[in-house]
Amino acid sequence: MLLAYRLALASDRVTATAIEANEFPRLAEEMEVYAVPRIAVNGVPQWDGSVPEAEFLRRVLSASSS
Amino acid sequence: MAILRAEEEAKVRELFAGLERPVELLVALGPEETPLPGARDIDFGAETLRVCEELAALGDTVTVRSEQEPEGFPRFPAVAIRPEGRDVGLRYDGLPWGYELGSLVGGILEAGKAEPTLRAESLEQLAALDRDLALDVFVTPT
Repeated sequence: MLLAYRLALASDRVTATAIEANEFPRLAEEMEVYAVPRIAVNGVPQWDGSVPEAEFLRRVLSASSS
Repeated sequence: MAILRAEEEAKVRELFAGLERPVELLVALGPEETPLPGARDIDFGAETLRVCEELAALGDTVTVRSEQEPEGFPRFPAVAIRPEGRDVGLRYDGLPWGYELGSLVGGILEAGKAEPTLRAESLEQLAALDRDLALDVFVTPT
């Protein structure tokens, strides 16, 4: 979660929201959250699990350009 | 019941003392989604406000306020973590408890830093960003 927050703090174009999956079950179901952390970019689920900074940014940028 | 053990409280107090700029927690309250079975007795909004108030009590530069259904919040309760009272897109949607209390504390610590803490290469890539990115990270407290 902290990496997402760091990205949002570093760029005006980025927002980062932690979403408590149990509390918003409908959204969690839509996003097919079966494991956490699950990362979604611009409303599209992408991957599960923590990754290092460079890989996180690579995945986020590649997800948003597709 | 206190949200942190005494030793955790001392640690958070120490970390908050090192904040380089003030951080405001804006607790957004409003209609809540029907929670999972067994959780319906919890007032998530009231608990979220209580957690934030207890955290704010641990740092002179951490403040908290609440609003009913402020604009731009799709879910309630939610917490906006606002460095110097500015909305920079940092949110925690839901009640931050258990393991996830650490995400909120971490968010406050990050927001309290005067400069971004990413690697230089990452900052370069972000500076070249030509589109908006909304990152949602689904978490659970256990």
